[in-house]
Amino acid sequence: MPLLSNPNRVSSRSAPTRPPVMVQLKAVSKVYSNRIPCLKHVNLTLRRGDFLFVIGPSGTGKSTLLKLLYGAEQATTGQVKVAGVDVGALRGDRLAKFRRKVGIVFQDYKLIPNRTVADNVAFVLQAQGRRQREIQRRLLPTLKMVGLDHRAEALPSQLSGGEQQRVSIARAIVSTPPLLLADEPTGNLDFENATQILRTLQNLNGYGATVIVTTHDRQLAMLSSQPVMELRQGQLQPLRGPTTHPPGYEQNLSGVANTPPSRTNSQGLSANTAKTLG
Amino acid sequence: MLALINKIKYLLRETWSGLRRGGWMNWAAISTVMVLLFLFGICVQTSWQLDALLEHFGTQLEVSVYLEPETEGREIQPLVAELPYVEAVRLVPKEEAWPNLLRELGITDVTAATEQLEGNPLVDELKVVATDLQQISWLMNRIESLPGIDRAVHLNEATDRFGQIQQSLNGVSIVVTVVLSLTAIAVITTTLNLIAIARRNELEIMQLVGATKTWIVLPFMLHGIIFGTVGAGLALVLMWALRMAIAQILTTQTGFLQFLTEGLTLTPIQLHLLPVIVVTLGITIGMVGSLFAIRRVAML
Repeated sequence: MPLLSNPNRVSSRSAPTRPPVMVQLKAVSKVYSNRIPCLKHVNLTLRRGDFLFVIGPSGTGKSTLLKLLYGAEQATTGQVKVAGVDVGALRGDRLAKFRRKVGIVFQDYKLIPNRTVADNVAFVLQAQGRRQREIQRRLLPTLKMVGLDHRAEALPSQLSGGEQQRVSIARAIVSTPPLLLADEPTGNLDFENATQILRTLQNLNGYGATVIVTTHDRQLAMLSSQPVMELRQGQLQPLRGPTTHPPGYEQNLSGVANTPPSRTNSQGLSANTAKTLG
Repeated sequence: MLALINKIKYLLRETWSGLRRGGWMNWAAISTVMVLLFLFGICVQTSWQLDALLEHFGTQLEVSVYLEPETEGREIQPLVAELPYVEAVRLVPKEEAWPNLLRELGITDVTAATEQLEGNPLVDELKVVATDLQQISWLMNRIESLPGIDRAVHLNEATDRFGQIQQSLNGVSIVVTVVLSLTAIAVITTTLNLIAIARRNELEIMQLVGATKTWIVLPFMLHGIIFGTVGAGLALVLMWALRMAIAQILTTQTGFLQFLTEGLTLTPIQLHLLPVIVVTLGITIGMVGSLFAIRRVAML
């Protein structure tokens, strides 16, 4: 389901029937070759349109959890399913095709330094073998969505850290994947930029994408109203469920999500949500 | 159709960006391929020229077999004809050879000469034409082991020598080609590996966003093929220049060297075949080199 096509749905929680399961971890354990267990018997179920923060100090296996979801690592035991697909069983081209349905954002952005913002984003679609016309059709709206359409021809080195991270978000969502994974997306950013990135991610969640964000910054996660789980000693423990929203937050977010995406919107959003977060 | 053009455009763009990343390493790879193919081409060409030269010298495949005095040529002829590598056997009876010899010696009175020597002193002779120059000495040994054979003689010493030269040249060219091929493959692999390392960010992202393996490695394959093709092109230019220079020198000579020149010219088929062989080897080397590199790329 393209996330652009359903701008009115705020989250699964407001829908009358329960949306399909997007992410399912069943008794997943991961032990690396140094024999130190990284994940122990982890269970997790996310439905389409859910948003989840996974917090925990560095080295607790947050990245591993995400890697299991996009098939960069295999679970030692247990089963990892994304949109009904057993990710651990995928190899080669089937894994490649599966990854087109998952957007990934990294702490270090992983932008290509000698390509412009537009080229960095379009590169994804080219690498997937899409047509030029389709690339043109998707590029500008995506850049608008992260508020960077005016910097399309800039090189990554000419952008601030926050802007670079927004480029990497644009790259992750340009093929409209139903699942968006952000591995410490705010790790290199100051508070101002970090909250803006989180708002962008929440905004995308408002369009229907399932989003998982990892961070070591407990405070930042707790500032938002989204569910938070903590990864501690290889186990996922819920810190805050979806029911404990601050009053008025949902309303606030839905108001944001309903406005058409544009650069002014993202600035308006920042003012809006800054209030909420502040 | 449009989608295919799109894909080809993408592949060419990616290959081009890889070439630009390569910088002078490209030249290292191309020049190695060029030297390899130049030497290989020269070897092939020389081998062909020696072939032509041998043809030029005439039938080098004929062996003269002299029988023992009391043996009848007619009896031995079918035995020899059955041997492998024998194209044809012609009998020269002594009754026929004797007058010819006397005539060549300038003696006209055959009967008188025969009486003087108490009969025809010659023996029957078989002219054996072999199918393969390389097998002549083997064939001569076999013939000599037959009963009633005095000895077999290969008259054309010069062609024998050329055969030996050709054989050792073939040996040398195989060694040179193999060693230089390995070198060229190693250089191409190293070059592509370095380019892959320089582009590892892009390759990693490509893998993460779901580019298929083929899509990732095809530009590297193309890159290797370009090395092979350009190297082959340059080698052909060098070979052409060398041929022109030698022809220039030889045309001013006379006599034996002039005769050599005629032998050294390539036939039209060979002139067309040589570039095809050289380019094919170049492309093969380029592809093998990139295949080795691709194993690394796929692991990045």
